Amino acid sequence: MRQNFWTGLAVNAFALLALNWIIPNYAGVNPMAQMPPDLVPRIASWIMLTCGTIIVAGAIKDLIKARALPVTADIDWPAVGWMVWPFAYVFLAIYLLTQFKITHVGGPIIAVMLFLLGERRWYMILGCSVVPVALLYVLSVYLMRVGVV
Amino acid sequence: MNKKLITTTLSTLAIAVGGITAAQASDWPERPLTMVIGFNPGGSTDIQGRVLANVMEDYLGQPVNVVNQPGAGSAVAFTRLANNTDEGYTFLFGGTTALTFTPIISDVDYEIDDFEYLAALAVGQNAIVTSAEQPFETFDDIIEYGRDNPMTYAQQTALDQAIIENVAEEEGLDLSIVPTGGGGGMAPLVLGKEVDFAYSGGTHAQYTPSGEMVVAAFLSAERSPFYPDVPTLMELGYDYSIEDYRTIIVPEGIPDEAREALISAAEYASESERFRETTEDNTFFPVVFIGQDEMEDSVRRIRAATEEVMGD
Amino acid sequence: MNMDFVAGAIGEALSLRSFIGIGGGVLLGYIIGVIPGLNRSVAIAIAIPLTFYMSPFIAISFLIGLSKGTAAGSAVSAILLNAPGEASSAATCLDGYPLARQGRPKTALKVGLFASVMGDILATTILIFVAIPFARVALMFGPYEMAAILAFALVFIAGLSSGSLFKGLAAGGLGIFLGTIGLDAQTGLPRMTFGYTELMDGMPLIAVAIGTLALSEMFVQSERLRYERDSMSVKLDNSDKDKLSWKEFRRTIPSILRGTGVGTVVGALPGLGPSVGSFMSYGMAKKASKTPERFGQGAPEGIAASESADNAVIPAALIPLFGLGIPGNVSAALLVGAFAIHGITVGPLLLRDEPELLYSIFAGMIVASLIMLVLGWFGLRIFAQITRVPPHIVIPIVIFFCLAGIMLQGYGPFGLIILVAFALLGFVMKRYDYSFVTFLVAFIITPMLELNLRQSIILSRGDPMVLMNRPIAVFFIVCTIIALFMLAWRTVKKGKPVAGGDPAA
Repeated sequence: MRQNFWTGLAVNAFALLALNWIIPNYAGVNPMAQMPPDLVPRIASWIMLTCGTIIVAGAIKDLIKARALPVTADIDWPAVGWMVWPFAYVFLAIYLLTQFKITHVGGPIIAVMLFLLGERRWYMILGCSVVPVALLYVLSVYLMRVGVV
Repeated sequence: MNKKLITTTLSTLAIAVGGITAAQASDWPERPLTMVIGFNPGGSTDIQGRVLANVMEDYLGQPVNVVNQPGAGSAVAFTRLANNTDEGYTFLFGGTTALTFTPIISDVDYEIDDFEYLAALAVGQNAIVTSAEQPFETFDDIIEYGRDNPMTYAQQTALDQAIIENVAEEEGLDLSIVPTGGGGGMAPLVLGKEVDFAYSGGTHAQYTPSGEMVVAAFLSAERSPFYPDVPTLMELGYDYSIEDYRTIIVPEGIPDEAREALISAAEYASESERFRETTEDNTFFPVVFIGQDEMEDSVRRIRAATEEVMGD
Repeated sequence: MNMDFVAGAIGEALSLRSFIGIGGGVLLGYIIGVIPGLNRSVAIAIAIPLTFYMSPFIAISFLIGLSKGTAAGSAVSAILLNAPGEASSAATCLDGYPLARQGRPKTALKVGLFASVMGDILATTILIFVAIPFARVALMFGPYEMAAILAFALVFIAGLSSGSLFKGLAAGGLGIFLGTIGLDAQTGLPRMTFGYTELMDGMPLIAVAIGTLALSEMFVQSERLRYERDSMSVKLDNSDKDKLSWKEFRRTIPSILRGTGVGTVVGALPGLGPSVGSFMSYGMAKKASKTPERFGQGAPEGIAASESADNAVIPAALIPLFGLGIPGNVSAALLVGAFAIHGITVGPLLLRDEPELLYSIFAGMIVASLIMLVLGWFGLRIFAQITRVPPHIVIPIVIFFCLAGIMLQGYGPFGLIILVAFALLGFVMKRYDYSFVTFLVAFIITPMLELNLRQSIILSRGDPMVLMNRPIAVFFIVCTIIALFMLAWRTVKKGKPVAGGDPAA
């Protein structure tokens, strides 16, 4: 219920952002058209807003019944950290990929992640990071012939 | 050392095979080249480009790798090419519409002057088409019929829409214009007679041999050699055209030796049987060779003319 | 049908060279399809230069074999890793992955394989014997009919999500919203692209699909590793449990036949695409089942329905191609290019001018299906071992291939960012029970629906009476309304606005 509350709120927030900022500024207008360019995005945003509101309302009803407050959740910070670090890691990897080629840094990227996920056997780490990269090299250079990516 | 030997042997071989006597002026290229295609694999630009790469490879003695960078009718590929500093080792093969038209209607991060137009190899075949089962066949028939009946037209770009709107206004037609979002969507509408006539960027080549689709007029500057009886819109007295050239384009300011090598490779390709066969017989684009000086002018002239049409 | 041609055609299809060509195509497609993150466009990019050196017949059969191979291959990663290579295999995950986790990966793979091959062969048979003369029927489906069918597909598939209805609809709304990004077809002006050239064609479907389907799943599994590291790899025992009994298989046959029908119709109508086919088929199998609650828990019928439709689309997309010259979907459009390289214009004239080539291609397609069966039969024994590899080793490698796939297809760093953004979205949706299926289907269908709706409104000049001459459109509009009512009824019956629990709370 707590999750419904917060995700429903997020849906509403996005829908309001879309209706008040994205669509007016970026959707464009075409007064001639029978179906102006902002019509479908607006319908979609209203669907999201309606559903988000219903979800939040339902969650509040349940929360009141259970006499719980949404904000007093004890957050299990280590669990959140465990959830978030792979994303942070992949964003870091993408940053590296804007600087270097994936064939060059892909091996270390796999190896470090394997290590972080708890693999400690050096031969597994080596094999798992070298084989896919080698495969990619063959694929890009010899089969697709697009050069090193 | 070994690599060099192989390269030299290969280029000698290529020259011998190609019957070209002039020795290449320099060692360029010294490593593989990359040809960028601004569309997905399988389209007409991709097919022509891949054969062209194959032929250029023979001439230059280095592999020419084809890379697809699809998106926004090549605008994505041009954006990346504008920032490319590969000194001529990366070049683009494709139409010029992304330069003569796209910047007018949307905000792109490149301009005509960011590039050099080394050589045009094929001429775009933009046309107005209709179904053979309609009561009209030529463009004049369409106008005639449209004076008494409400008509529908399938557009693909804002440019052809603007041109047809102007024509309809001049002739006093009651015209509804339908968006299609591309060549693939146009054919079912025309063949199913959902619309009366439509714009075609070249897809008609697949449907005219069976006689199901008829070309009413060409939007290009000159008549097509494949449909010698079909007039251009200009000849019919409307001052509009959509010109497009499949051109080899590089970022501005590449070394002279690279420029020369690419231009002579392009010239070699334009004379090659293989490139001609694929381009003319299979994708119905006439092969030409238009040099750099003329292309630089053409691109700017087409851009100015397009701005005029889109201006009103 | 001239018997000489047929005999000659079969002879050519059975020659050693064609076996190697077709088999090579199927094998290449299968391997590429199995690797999550790499998909059909990578396979095609490898294949087109190769086809330069082949005869027209081998080249075309090679490419058709490749399409079939990738479709069957992406089912393998969908079933074993819950990470489908293409959006059209996403429906296969829904039951394939649960079944594999129950320790029956081989059963799941077998059902998928048999359904693929059967759907394929049946649809090819329809293509050969029935469909080409009737290809013109597709032209009866103008913008009105397409808009009505797409609307029906959207509502019908949205109604499938097993979780909360409102969460599903919210996800669908987001899909519709994101699906409208890109150049506006009518004005040609950018819509919600924020000035990014890369967004002008819309969010790149490949990055969205790999992100929400494959990459997000890796994040879900890496989170789960914290709690159930030891229980996550399946112990494969060669006991009787992991065997597909005839009785079990017999139950999937109606699903396969229905899936083939749906896939054939969807494939024959230009523009719909395999994702619509596989989800529609899955939904119909669930609706027709006496025990719909088994769906999503590892029901073999679910795998069969989705896979048969997914594979039936491929030959069916050739019906309008050979009958009218109109490619039924993207992979059929690629064949046009391959034909052009070999100097052949595809269309109705092919049957008149080069019937022998056409019949060789048909024979080649059947051969490709049979090779697929053999290859898949041996492949599944090897691939089923993947479930034994601990997830902490699979995860980094799959993430690597997802990133590499985007780079290989030339989408650049911008594509990578979209990929991870959608992986994050997919992760949140999976974790908090928002239907990512509804999201993805809405995202795929919206641009087509909007375009066809616009065309209809413009062509009819806003006059609804046009529909009087359009019985097919009216039929699907009625279906859409019924589906909407059933959705509403389901909500009322459940009584509570937010149904579906919070499993993780």
